[in-house]
Amino acid sequence: MYLRLLSIQLRSQMQFRLSFWFELVSTGLLSGSYFLSLALILERFNNLAGWSLGEIAFLVGLIETSFGTMDLIFSGFDDTYFSQLIHQGTLDQILLRPVNSFWQILGSRFLLRRIGRIAEGLIILGVAFSLLDIQWTLARLLYLPVVVFSQVLTMGAFFIVGSTLTFWTVQSIEAVNILTYGGTELMSYPVQIYPPWLRNFFTYVIPFVFLNYYPALYFLDKPDPLHFSRIAPFLAPLVGVLMFALALRFWKFGMDRYQSTGS
Amino acid sequence: MPPMIEVRSLYKTFQVTRRRPGLMGAFKNLFAPERRLVTAVDGVNFQLQEGELVGYLGPNGAGKSTTIKMLTGLLVPTSGEVIVDGFVPWRDRARYVARIGAVFGQRTTLWWDLPVIDSFELLQPMYRVPPDRFRRSLDAFVDLLELHEFLNTPVRSLSLGQRMRADLCAALLHEPRLVFLDEPTIGLDVVAKERIRQFIQYINRERGVTILLTTHDLSDVERLCERVLILDHGRVVYDGTLVTLNQRFESDWSLVVTFAEPYTDVNLPGLAPARRDELRAVYAFDHRQVAASDLIQQLLPRFRIADLEVRRPSLEETIRRIYDERLLLPVQK
Repeated sequence: MYLRLLSIQLRSQMQFRLSFWFELVSTGLLSGSYFLSLALILERFNNLAGWSLGEIAFLVGLIETSFGTMDLIFSGFDDTYFSQLIHQGTLDQILLRPVNSFWQILGSRFLLRRIGRIAEGLIILGVAFSLLDIQWTLARLLYLPVVVFSQVLTMGAFFIVGSTLTFWTVQSIEAVNILTYGGTELMSYPVQIYPPWLRNFFTYVIPFVFLNYYPALYFLDKPDPLHFSRIAPFLAPLVGVLMFALALRFWKFGMDRYQSTGS
Repeated sequence: MPPMIEVRSLYKTFQVTRRRPGLMGAFKNLFAPERRLVTAVDGVNFQLQEGELVGYLGPNGAGKSTTIKMLTGLLVPTSGEVIVDGFVPWRDRARYVARIGAVFGQRTTLWWDLPVIDSFELLQPMYRVPPDRFRRSLDAFVDLLELHEFLNTPVRSLSLGQRMRADLCAALLHEPRLVFLDEPTIGLDVVAKERIRQFIQYINRERGVTILLTTHDLSDVERLCERVLILDHGRVVYDGTLVTLNQRFESDWSLVVTFAEPYTDVNLPGLAPARRDELRAVYAFDHRQVAASDLIQQLLPRFRIADLEVRRPSLEETIRRIYDERLLLPVQK
């Protein structure tokens, strides 16, 4: 059923070809230009906390690709969009259909223009690969998509939590956006540049560091200046699955308590 | 056979936050919001037998939508019992909604950017209707509702009337035995309304679908329903046939007389014309006190008359009087 809903989304978005390409290019350019400015700064300083331009590009490219993919798949759980679903009574229509509401919402929106951001991420990754000399072992090749998948799951989890919160708050919650959008930003840089309290927060409370930074250490053969456990680079899938499972729980909790309005 | 819908002492109370005006008010609201309980549905009882087509009427805010939402499982009542087709709607919603149909005139259930036919075809796997059976109902409904001309048009480009027909079709493709229609003719012109009424009548009479019809348009009700439920301030104030309703509340009939020549005094014994201009006089009378025929018999020997007409108030006026003058008290059971 989800796939059917998806194909509908694709078909209807293809109808507006011009605006589609325009949006795609502009989304790509927007985030691309941001990386460009970062690259220019790095050019002046050569490295950032011991990370070269190529290595930073790896961090940025990976998380941008994941975020773009997540944004594409989880467009339906974008909290601004989702609170509209509630307000306009669309959620009621969804509930009147005998198909799981989670899949219906996921299938209700699939913003193809997010491909722009994915493309931008992939290009930056490409830049990273050309600047770096990564030793591609089989294990590394196999682990790369796993990392992307874990990042997508985790970010998706935050989208779901953000949407679920709008059941109670009506409006979207900025605090959650700080975690999703801010989290992406944060994961674009090596963690040593952050003060310890922030680092600890994103290690023990919301374990973002295991999603991008530690896996990057593994791919790039860099030593861990924080001397965390040796398994740290491989915790990403665990974090992803755990976060997503918790988010689904919360979603179900919210959905069970959802009440339509009186009018 | 158990009734299709059974509603027993249904209550729904909402908590609403009242906004205080002004800056100080806004400040107070932030820390100590003033909450009030509003009872939208206040002890409603009724039953619908299978195959009935019942009009559900009431002024805005009477609790109609709230009731429908509880009956479709979107709202959980504060207290009371609802059993529809053997289900408690909000408890087993996923299985329950597959057995009912619902049309909300104000919003569409179709996919906005898709051609109508694609929306329909999506419903087949959604409701797990066997393909051949689905095809048969689809063909039948497309004919009846005359959807051919715009089957390939995206929903967003349809006129309101076309959209409503498409929505009706969509609500019935999985062959539900019970359908909730909420304002299905709202905002439509006379021709479009008539087409929809005919279809509603068809699915009720020929297919035996039970229908609960909410509407503001009383001509819908006059045309379609034998029985009406009238809701006011969250209570059922009338549950019975339209005929009985008319007999009880249509007191202000009028007799319109056009005289053949001018008369100075046209008063009848005990009845003065309510309005008079030149040759025409309008007599208001209570048909329960005096019969129209008696009035006419008194008129004929005294005047030369060109035309006579007995006017009954429309259902609309009757209902408005019921609301305004609060003629009805809640039905006690």
